[in-house]
Amino acid sequence: MHNDDPVHKARKRVRRVAIVLSTGSYQREAPTTVLRLAEKLLERGIEVNVWAFEEAVTLTNREQIEHNEPPSLKPVLGESHAPVGRFIDQLLRAGLHGAKMDWVTCILCAQERGVEKHQMGGAIVGTLGDLWKFVGGADQVIAIPAYR
Amino acid sequence: MGRLLVVDSRDLTEYAKGPSLPLLVEELCRQGHDVTLFLVENGVIAARRGAAAGIAFDALSDTGAHILADDVSCRARGIRELAPGVSPSDLDHLADKIADGFDNILWY
Repeated sequence: MHNDDPVHKARKRVRRVAIVLSTGSYQREAPTTVLRLAEKLLERGIEVNVWAFEEAVTLTNREQIEHNEPPSLKPVLGESHAPVGRFIDQLLRAGLHGAKMDWVTCILCAQERGVEKHQMGGAIVGTLGDLWKFVGGADQVIAIPAYR
Repeated sequence: MGRLLVVDSRDLTEYAKGPSLPLLVEELCRQGHDVTLFLVENGVIAARRGAAAGIAFDALSDTGAHILADDVSCRARGIRELAPGVSPSDLDHLADKIADGFDNILWY
């Protein structure tokens, strides 16, 4: 119905999205928002490739421990709160049965933070070459800015 | 003209450059672009009805911008009523729009 409108000209439906993320655990909401959005994209059959660098390499640290909430807060918050990495793990596994998500952790950033050897299963330790491939192969690129 | 998505995840009053984002959206609309401004995380704070931030979302909407606010972010901040010009939305809606494709996405 928008065929004559250049703004709504026929577009190829997006099949692959690249997300560039630099925000780590417990800094801001960005990782959670990214994962919420990634889940919605995967549900639509869209492949999601995340390139995590700087503090975002800590998101996939498998050594993160779930802590119990203080007794007074348990009625509100529940028994404990899961680290963001749990959500990533679930999305990586969900991709086994539909659109897939690849999660690449920058090797230099991971080495600098001592988490290279602590990456969870499914997370790929990679390089800027992976970012190049993700961006080059994406129909849509979303770069989440760092806040300083 | 292009189809553009601007995502605002920061409180527009938190940083000195915040108010420039609505101005950017307004200018892009005036140039004829089809612009969606999606407010998420602290970006929804300025969209609270009666907020003192002074962002004229109704005027921005009049320029043709589609201004949407994420429901989860609103609920997390106790925002029940949105400023004129802002429509309630969610990440399903955003994902649908991304699936249709944008010429560019700016995430602030």
